[in-house]
Amino acid sequence: IQGTQEKHVDGVKWTESKAIEIEEEEDDDVENLLKEEQAYGEEIDVSADTTGALKWKEDLTQKAAEAFLRQQQSAPNLRKLVYGTVAEDAGEEDEVDEELGGLFHVSRPDKESKQKANALDCSKFPVETPQDWDLDEVMSSIRDCFVTGK
Amino acid sequence: MAAAAVAGGGAASRPHSLSYVGCNFLRQRLVLATLSGRPVKIRKIRAKEENPGLRDFEASFIRLIDKVTNGSRIEINQTGTTLYYQPGLLYGGMLEHDCSPHRSIGYYLESLLCLAPFMKHPLRIVLRGVTNDQIDPSVDVLKATALPLLKKFGIDGEGFELKITRRGMPPKGGGEVVFACPVRKVLRPIQFTDPGKIKRIRGTAYSVRVSPQIANRIVDSARSILNKFIPDIYIYTDHMKGTSSGKSPGFGLSLVAETTNGTFLSAELASNPQGQGTAVLPEELGLNCAKLLLEEIYRGGCVDSTNQSLVLLLMTLGQQDVSKVLLGPLSPYTIEFLRHLRSFFQTMFKIETKSSHEELKGGEKVLMTCVGIGFSNLSKTIR
Repeated sequence: IQGTQEKHVDGVKWTESKAIEIEEEEDDDVENLLKEEQAYGEEIDVSADTTGALKWKEDLTQKAAEAFLRQQQSAPNLRKLVYGTVAEDAGEEDEVDEELGGLFHVSRPDKESKQKANALDCSKFPVETPQDWDLDEVMSSIRDCFVTGK
Repeated sequence: MAAAAVAGGGAASRPHSLSYVGCNFLRQRLVLATLSGRPVKIRKIRAKEENPGLRDFEASFIRLIDKVTNGSRIEINQTGTTLYYQPGLLYGGMLEHDCSPHRSIGYYLESLLCLAPFMKHPLRIVLRGVTNDQIDPSVDVLKATALPLLKKFGIDGEGFELKITRRGMPPKGGGEVVFACPVRKVLRPIQFTDPGKIKRIRGTAYSVRVSPQIANRIVDSARSILNKFIPDIYIYTDHMKGTSSGKSPGFGLSLVAETTNGTFLSAELASNPQGQGTAVLPEELGLNCAKLLLEEIYRGGCVDSTNQSLVLLLMTLGQQDVSKVLLGPLSPYTIEFLRHLRSFFQTMFKIETKSSHEELKGGEKVLMTCVGIGFSNLSKTIR
């Protein structure tokens, strides 16, 4: 009987210990969760701290990439547009006209550059695509150019 | 003119001439040649057109350049398709010139504005011809925008004026303008990167040989748009009579927006010349001109689009110091002018695009930076 009792006790103990273990496990889980939450909370705190002084550090690589692309797109293009291909003597043309049978010249139709060479000499910069200044959006696009704006 | 004066620099140091093709950009080529002392040769001027060679107004411009200089040598071939120009010294003084009515006085005046500060004697010139047309910047606009710009470079004083004594419309003209400009030995470098905000809009509605009521109709329609932006608008009505009204009828409007930092942005429109095109309604002209001004404000910058090349020239000719200016989008004329500046003076600008970070300030701007070449007016008489 003792043996069975002991067994029983053992069984109880076992169950008890099992239960404790389970409880402990549950505790662990809770603790882990808590820890995670704390860690999460801390992370939020960190980012909250950085919003003031160190916000510029966020997405640095992305920003750099964007800035680089912007530079690539705008500045060198404008410089290229102005100083790029056109040399100071636009004089080398026509001399290379093909000759047919050594007597006739092939007269090529005027290229764009040549039309420009004899175009009207005027400093005005006409507006090519006028905007509709009756629209509110268009009107507000220059609102801040005035003292009455922001 | 006396050929002896040409030898100035001596044959050994004579710079080689630059060669160009076509009649476009004739004025800037001759102006830069005069300032740099380098001869230019321009070939194939309208060589393939039915009526080849230089036109009246270009011949008149070349005569004007000859008048303000001493010792220039100008050679034009029989057909007028080739022009060789060896510049003399800028002399200035009291002069008169009859401009061709095919182009307005603005065409001639734009170049004189570039040359006048570097004369030996202060220039005082009477120009006769067309004061306002549909092609070139009018005398009104140049008076309101280019003169304040020159003042920023230190060109100022009592003898600095541009006066319209008679107004003349195309096709016959009959207008008269007096332009006087003092001389300076050196130009001040500028740092002009903030245009400020527009504080007022001024304008002139003019009418000659038509009903004086037309000017009032223009004013009313222009105000109807501009009043939505700013209340401080005043448009003068200028109705000239008798001999001061020229030989042809016409009317028009020029508008100038002035900012807190001394930027002047302009727009203008003129009626169709007598006998050309359909009649323009004054109301329509006023509305369209107001919209053009809004377009110019959208482009923005510290200098309006007509004066871009003038400001870049004066920056190049400044003392050996850094000059900066913020411009709106570069006009095709300005882009060609930058290339010519490189050919004649070996100056290249640093060109940076500035997209407006704050919104509601119009389109993209361009920041132009250069170092002046230290040009000094050696022929200026010292008293």
